[in-house]
Amino acid sequence: MTIQPTDFGTLRRWVRRTQSDHRERGATAGNIYFAVLFIAVVGGMLHRQLAVIFWPVHPNASELAGSALVLAGVGGLFLALRRLGPLGLSRPAASWFLTAPVSRRRLLVPSLRLAAAGAGLAGALYGVAVVGHVADRPMPAAEGALLPVVGALLGIVILLAAVAAQSGPAWGGWADNLAYLLLAAGLTGFVVDSVIDAPRATASWPTTAVAATTAALALVVIVLLAIAVTRLAGTPNDRILEAAKTAGTLLDSAFGVEPSFVTEMVERRYWANRRLRSVRLWRRLPVLTAQDLLLVRRRPRRLLWIAGAVALPTLLAHAPAWVLAAAVLLGGMLAGGVSTGNVRTDAGNPVMLRLLGLDSRSAITQRLWVPTLLAGLWYAAALALLDALGDLPAGPWWALGIALAPVGSVAAIRKARAGFVRNELLPLDTPMGTLSPGPLVNSVVGPDALLLGLPALVEIAQGHPLSWTTVLVQAVVSVIGARAYVSGTTATDRVELAAIP
Amino acid sequence: MVDQPAVDASGLYVSYGSTPVLVDVALRVPIGAGVCVTGENGIGKSTLLRCLSSLQRPDQGKIRIFGRSPGSTPEFWRQVATTVEPPTWYPGLTVREHTELVCRAHGQDPDEAGVDAALEGFGLAGHADAIPPSLSSGQKQRLTLALTLLRPSSLLILDEPEQRLDHQGRATVAAMLSQYVADGGTLLMASHDDVFAEASGAEITTMESLAAPAGTGS
Repeated sequence: MTIQPTDFGTLRRWVRRTQSDHRERGATAGNIYFAVLFIAVVGGMLHRQLAVIFWPVHPNASELAGSALVLAGVGGLFLALRRLGPLGLSRPAASWFLTAPVSRRRLLVPSLRLAAAGAGLAGALYGVAVVGHVADRPMPAAEGALLPVVGALLGIVILLAAVAAQSGPAWGGWADNLAYLLLAAGLTGFVVDSVIDAPRATASWPTTAVAATTAALALVVIVLLAIAVTRLAGTPNDRILEAAKTAGTLLDSAFGVEPSFVTEMVERRYWANRRLRSVRLWRRLPVLTAQDLLLVRRRPRRLLWIAGAVALPTLLAHAPAWVLAAAVLLGGMLAGGVSTGNVRTDAGNPVMLRLLGLDSRSAITQRLWVPTLLAGLWYAAALALLDALGDLPAGPWWALGIALAPVGSVAAIRKARAGFVRNELLPLDTPMGTLSPGPLVNSVVGPDALLLGLPALVEIAQGHPLSWTTVLVQAVVSVIGARAYVSGTTATDRVELAAIP
Repeated sequence: MVDQPAVDASGLYVSYGSTPVLVDVALRVPIGAGVCVTGENGIGKSTLLRCLSSLQRPDQGKIRIFGRSPGSTPEFWRQVATTVEPPTWYPGLTVREHTELVCRAHGQDPDEAGVDAALEGFGLAGHADAIPPSLSSGQKQRLTLALTLLRPSSLLILDEPEQRLDHQGRATVAAMLSQYVADGGTLLMASHDDVFAEASGAEITTMESLAAPAGTGS
């Protein structure tokens, strides 16, 4: 028996008409009205800040920084698109249309159209920002108009590369690695730019060169787009389903204001794609510490990023000193967070802790060691680098980093134990409208423990030479704070880790 | 105390909204005995086991596990092992490493505790390097049982352990449970399979009989 494919366009129109019948009259127009009003109000409120981001009064970045921005943007956009799909369907469409006898190409073309619009818009905005920060002024009008178009076309080229990689060719993994390298190279460029006095762009680019680049890119986009559309039907079902789940999880996360949905999805996918070999846990270490070390050993790429991020505080060398200090403190918390996936599991569901029969105090004490090690190494390296580059006054900054280790680890563990966002908290009425305090409270749990690093923060903010007395004060505060955290939020007669300690 | 039972519950009442699930339920399981509670779906077997495991608070009633109130203390969870709740698996830890972690947390040497033999017995030897979320539901059920049986305990509370197991798997698990009881452990489980329950060395009792004024499980 031969089944004739159903006309997908007719089917989609029928679905839209039926959905529209169930909505109240004018609901769609109302939604559009509120969206436009929201953009207008926010745009009006933030236009100065947006101008600083996209088109400062005077170009303020070097050519090196501009190149770094482009590299990081290309790598970042490719990776973001790969994580999103980029081709996907809504969850209902994935359930009902993917298995229906409809043209796969017609099913996926709207998704490609939407993704191209998104990537083009992102590329154009990014292009405007790069040009605004780097290009010499005054700029010929034609060039000013063409450069965002170059950005948009480049965004679409990156999207089409991601679409090709979605079909699962052997080079997909290599392309991801290349994108990671571009992102890393871009970040390295920023760091180098902040250290050396890189030259500014002195003359605007020739208009003919920009026009030729635009034309060449447009041609590439047309050819690649034609190839992509003809090959759309070959996109494997599992990749489309995965993208549909990603889109669904992101929507759930946004509507529920619950970022942990996304964290869990990313974590689950990471491990699902890894091939592991069982090893013995280190016998000389406490069992949960050994487990944390094993987890860290199995995340080499994350460790590499954390190691590379040691250089990022140097980007803030010219920012207010307290901003630099806060960024350093926050960085140690993120470094300590590499191994806290196990704490998150136990905080979310204590079944394994009950099976292990360990009390919460032993569990948290054992779980603190690896984050302390990671945070200590990160703080010491970051502060030593700032010191070596002359961004800090004289003193034993590496020692202050080690003294800060418990601060980063307590903050990381506290963040991992925060659990779900508490949406049951009473909403607050503000002049800007009703505000749900749940997400705010949840985002503060963890970073609030960084207050234990106050002696270091004050020291960096004041800009005085660092003395061993300050290091000692910080060490004492860190250790007392960590001990107070453990004894105040755990108990020897309780297994469960409380959701919000 | 010699006469002290492993499980001693009386006058248990639990209702979900206006629907009563447990009405004046009593159960007594002596130390070293095996009891299997049977009954149709929705009659309250899982609710009873959850109450006895301290995972749910009854509306009324008295529960004593080895003479003490069940709670969330580490002492309680070192005595009691249960599969009433499915575990959330640790990220990036293989099947074998989960078993080793549980053994080492209880001070056991994984080799002496028989990790490899347990994985072999539960048909998981070929999946030792897999992460638990990638296993089928039946394999996850067997891994949970393996973890529960590998670690030392005095009381096993199992909710339908035969579910999602094939014929051979049921025979293997039943033999292990029978050995557990023979070694002095106390077994309390809910099941729909009378043959499995008898092979596990458990005495069968119905939920209806537990609700009777004189209802006892042993």
